[in-house]
Amino acid sequence: MIARLWNYLDLAVAYIRFNLKSQMEYRGAFISQIAAMILNDGVWVAFWVLYFTRFPVLRGWGVEDVMTIWALTASGFGLAHALYGNVIFLPFLIIQGQLDAWMLYPRALLPHMLLGKMNATAWGDALFGYGVYFLLVQPDLIHALMFICLTISCATLFIGFGILAGSLAFFVGNAANLTEQWRISLITFSTYPSILFEGLVKILLFTLIPAGFVTHFPIQVLRHLSLLDGIFTLGGTLGFLLLSIIVFHLGLRRYESGNLTEMRG
Amino acid sequence: MIVAIRKYSWIGWTAIRSNLAYLGEVISRALFLVVILFIFLQLWRVTFSELEATRLGGLTLPQMLWYLALTEAIILSAPRVSHEIDQDVRTGALAIQLIRPLSYPLYRLWTTLGERTVRFLINLGVGVLIVLVLVGPIPLQPMLVLGIPVLALAFVLDFLSYLLIGLAAFWLEETSGIFLIYSRLTMILGGMMMPLELFPDALQAVLRWLPFANIVYGPALMVIAPDLDAFGPLVMRQTIMIMVLSLFAALVYRAALKRIHAHGG
Repeated sequence: MIARLWNYLDLAVAYIRFNLKSQMEYRGAFISQIAAMILNDGVWVAFWVLYFTRFPVLRGWGVEDVMTIWALTASGFGLAHALYGNVIFLPFLIIQGQLDAWMLYPRALLPHMLLGKMNATAWGDALFGYGVYFLLVQPDLIHALMFICLTISCATLFIGFGILAGSLAFFVGNAANLTEQWRISLITFSTYPSILFEGLVKILLFTLIPAGFVTHFPIQVLRHLSLLDGIFTLGGTLGFLLLSIIVFHLGLRRYESGNLTEMRG
Repeated sequence: MIVAIRKYSWIGWTAIRSNLAYLGEVISRALFLVVILFIFLQLWRVTFSELEATRLGGLTLPQMLWYLALTEAIILSAPRVSHEIDQDVRTGALAIQLIRPLSYPLYRLWTTLGERTVRFLINLGVGVLIVLVLVGPIPLQPMLVLGIPVLALAFVLDFLSYLLIGLAAFWLEETSGIFLIYSRLTMILGGMMMPLELFPDALQAVLRWLPFANIVYGPALMVIAPDLDAFGPLVMRQTIMIMVLSLFAALVYRAALKRIHAHGG
């Protein structure tokens, strides 16, 4: 088991190095995309700074809390899509029958295929997230370590969500638009304070649109260093990942080859 | 002159019909409005209740949500014309456009206006339905028709900015970064998420003289709370900005044309 995990980590490092080299071939475009994404995220945080300048407290939440959820969402999303960039393309790979090429490798299909692409702008999100937390929130050592663990948890959640949403294509055909809307909903809800939502919507935020595992429990963990909230965060994330893997493999039984002939370098 | 007006009006009408053909897709994209307007409602509902306020920035809670429905409709209807111009420049398709008996910038202007009109009306329709469900109707005044000319001027002003971004492809390796920054600045500094009155006082005067607020905030407020005293200065600011940007765009376009090299083929 440990040997297999080690072997997979080796593969992941090799893919990351290869994908980075590929991005660096267009160094100017790569750097400008990262810079643009950092500015893009910065503009949203600027809105919250303006908002809290006018209304200093929102049901007990301050500007630092909102910066923290932005930092968590951006770094979690960034890590997930910088390393597992193919998760965004999953519906297209399924619809166009392009999983064929990935099935030919002597590797587990899903974890291998997800490594296939790197999303350049995701590096901008990751840098922004860590930058905001470490430079603006300025945590002590224990909070900093906790934050890093939580970003890995958020990244895992985004990957799980991406697999689940993308796997819809196995069942409903061209689901790219639906997947995109669903993903945007998760990101949008993940960047607003969870205290804004109550009742049925709150239930949705822990099920259909699992933003609660980004904005609710992690904030409690960082505020109170609460072990229980940490367990809820990790439990929800791993549960979602497990569900997505099951749905992907159920869907895979319905997969039809594209009979596409193509050259792969 | 009349021939030219008929020609470009026909181009605009063709763009409208072309977009109506993909009505389903445009409506499905408007679903995002449901999510974002619901979140905004929660944010402002909590803000109003925390402050025990009946009006913020001169607007009641229902007016605030109607204002946000309008600003979202304006923002979400923005076409990706800068990307299309960028592609025309990079692929050389611009050279083909130049041999047609049309002015390329005017052709793009009318196509964009046609496309944007359809998208705006659909987004507005969906947005109005959502706010009717969420907060009910608000008393609208007949003077809201003043919103029509300022919206038209806002769309022209926005187009000129996108034209300049697209033409930057003659000099830059990548224009998507500038597009992203411009669109985010339009959202935040334009007052998409809150009216200008809620911004810090020192910032308000500056923002009124930037294009962003004259594209989003000014037209949206003119529909929700029409004010004859504000109409004149708004039209004046929009006209001045259109004249300045048109002049600048003409200079940039002229310089850009000198960089075109046709090699046949």
